[in-house]
Amino acid sequence: MKALSTQTRSIKPAEVEKNWHLIDAEGLVVGRLASIVANILRGKHKPSYTPHVDCGDHVVIINVEKVKFTGNKLKQQTYYKHTGYAGGIKEVTADKVLAGRFPERVLEKAVERMVPRGPLGRQQMKALHLYAGSEHPHDGQQPQVLDVASMNRKNKAAK
Amino acid sequence: MSRIKRGVTTRQKHKRILEQAKGYRGRRKNTIRVARQAVEKAGQYAYRDRKIKKRTFRGLWIQRINAAVRAEGITYSQFMHGIKLAGIELDRKVMANLAMNEGAAFASIIQQAKAALPAA
Repeated sequence: MKALSTQTRSIKPAEVEKNWHLIDAEGLVVGRLASIVANILRGKHKPSYTPHVDCGDHVVIINVEKVKFTGNKLKQQTYYKHTGYAGGIKEVTADKVLAGRFPERVLEKAVERMVPRGPLGRQQMKALHLYAGSEHPHDGQQPQVLDVASMNRKNKAAK
Repeated sequence: MSRIKRGVTTRQKHKRILEQAKGYRGRRKNTIRVARQAVEKAGQYAYRDRKIKKRTFRGLWIQRINAAVRAEGITYSQFMHGIKLAGIELDRKVMANLAMNEGAAFASIIQQAKAALPAA
């Protein structure tokens, strides 16, 4: 057995093992799912977690248009953006986004807001792959299925 | 009595400061007035951060231990309680090191901690 170092090591970017996870988002609660995904993207599930290195995994999520909100949040959760012009603040509610052209933006925004902002956070967000519908082009990476619903009964929205 | 000129001393003092300020940004590296302030402040940060370093490392060890024990289905706090009951006196630094580099050894520690916990 090789002797253990007495120093705490940082993992090097070249040593990071990037695994792939596959999540079926159907019926899952947005915020609960997003917090699990954010932790995986950051690599906080690994004993080799290093805060300044991108040591997270890739996450593929399918059926992102079928995520759930609890309570009235489907109609009340609003997203704002500003066009830059005077009076140019626009708002859109979650149900409109989910029914629109880019339903993946609901989950994307939720995860983005749970990953620390900065160069590292933006890099880690690139490992998130969201797809409406049950198809995804990452079969070559052989993503491991992650059953989020079984982790906690509250992860799946009640009918 | 002969007259003493200050130029030599001043040059030596300035040189010492400017050498410490090497690699600083902008005027901080070559203007004595600004460099002196920057070097003083750097020393204050260094003194403070030698203490803070111990806290950030403890935080990192806890995060790593937590990552390892959660994979086995218990949380960090339950694990630490189990460790205490099992009479294991490894500190967090060693345990984090084991978790990162010797997964098998750490798994057996987790099993001992789990066994020591009262049945939930």
